[in-house]
Amino acid sequence: MKYTTFSREQNDALKEPMFFGNPVNVSRYDQQKYPIFEQLIEKQLSFFWRPEEVDVSKDRIDYQALPAHEQHIFISNLKYQTLLDSIQGRSPNVALLPLVSIPELETWIETWAFSETIHSRSYTHIIRNIVKDPSTIFDDIVLNEEILKRAEDISRYYDDLIDATRQYQEYGEGQHSLANGETIDISLRSLKRKLYMCLMSVNVLEAIRFYVSFACSFAFAERELMEGNAKIIRLIARDEALHLTSTQHMLNIMASGEDDPEMAEIAIECHAEATELFRFAAEQEKQWARYLFKDGSMIGLNETILCQYVEYITNVRMQAVGLPKAFETSENPIPWINTWLSSDSVQVAPQEVEVSSYLVGQIDNSVDVDDLSEFTL
Amino acid sequence: MTDKTDGKRPWVFIQGQQAFQFDPQQHDSLLEAMEAHKVAVHYECRSGYCGACRTTTLDGEVEYQHQPIAFIRKGEILPCCCTPTRDITLVRD
Repeated sequence: MKYTTFSREQNDALKEPMFFGNPVNVSRYDQQKYPIFEQLIEKQLSFFWRPEEVDVSKDRIDYQALPAHEQHIFISNLKYQTLLDSIQGRSPNVALLPLVSIPELETWIETWAFSETIHSRSYTHIIRNIVKDPSTIFDDIVLNEEILKRAEDISRYYDDLIDATRQYQEYGEGQHSLANGETIDISLRSLKRKLYMCLMSVNVLEAIRFYVSFACSFAFAERELMEGNAKIIRLIARDEALHLTSTQHMLNIMASGEDDPEMAEIAIECHAEATELFRFAAEQEKQWARYLFKDGSMIGLNETILCQYVEYITNVRMQAVGLPKAFETSENPIPWINTWLSSDSVQVAPQEVEVSSYLVGQIDNSVDVDDLSEFTL
Repeated sequence: MTDKTDGKRPWVFIQGQQAFQFDPQQHDSLLEAMEAHKVAVHYECRSGYCGACRTTTLDGEVEYQHQPIAFIRKGEILPCCCTPTRDITLVRD
């Protein structure tokens, strides 16, 4: 089926499935098949923030005083988060928009991806402040072995789905012989399966992969170090919690079969693969913790504790999407992190932040005698 | 266990054990009351959008101050943003 930016089909959007129905035509929000996506949009918009609102200038002094192994922990996490948000800022749009069929979900996807671009911009804000040459950090993201390993496993599901969608749109269902002699078998069901696994992988990304970095950022801030960074990470964590809720909703709606009965069958078929996806990602994050602490731990956090936290959070997230726990751990080894993840304590009062709009149209107040030299009476 | 309480201070049962009485004068949410009574519960956002405090109930009823955004199945509640309206039994996993 060909994608069109404005379908002339006089369809009833309330009867369309979330994905693989008619492309969305009228962006209308007066009626919704799934009001939850409209609520998510409103919540996300109410969360809007700008990196410049957070003063990170003290972090520069803190960073310079950190021992080398702690600088490594701090910078490596920023690199990893930059990778994650680089992927998340574009991929939901590229992969999911061509497939979506209801307006409230289409707009949610766009709102979601946009908020990820704010996160990416905030990393530049942080990095620019702590080092003289940000390129040394950004350039390493595509060179660093440890990061590349993760990039491959995260982007694979998106790339698979994007490629299969392209083939489906180009050739349609059935067996096709390509010019290069290759034969391809395209079915809508296998495309649906790729979508389901892609959403599962995105859920893993937002529900687990971010949390190792979050824990480190907040552990620094517990010692009153890198607090500007922690303020930003707290805002990012608030957004990510919303995003993971949205993928949990999509996955659970699919598994229920109320939206598309075939999706419920696929959810059952993918049960083992999805469980393995979570377990594998958790192991990869534990390896990341090992890499972070290779030259030494930081006060309040070490490899063992961080690995226990990964296992703990993985269990919580798996249960949310109807999968069995992968690990024995049942206690949160770092309960203090919850204070940082709680939105009760996110400061949003305008008087508490530097409102950047005040800077627009500012005037230069320093006047020198020379400035008046051209005046004659 | 009475099915209907006086509607003011419902009992909270955990795994069949009577745990505490919920006092709406003291606590704004079930989560706050659970913490005050040293019942371990996972939480993150405390505002109904992350779903981390999702808890299964065997019976009972709750009321939400605001409709939560997080996903919950039938029989599950989000203690961070609800209060029990009658006796309630929670399951610990």
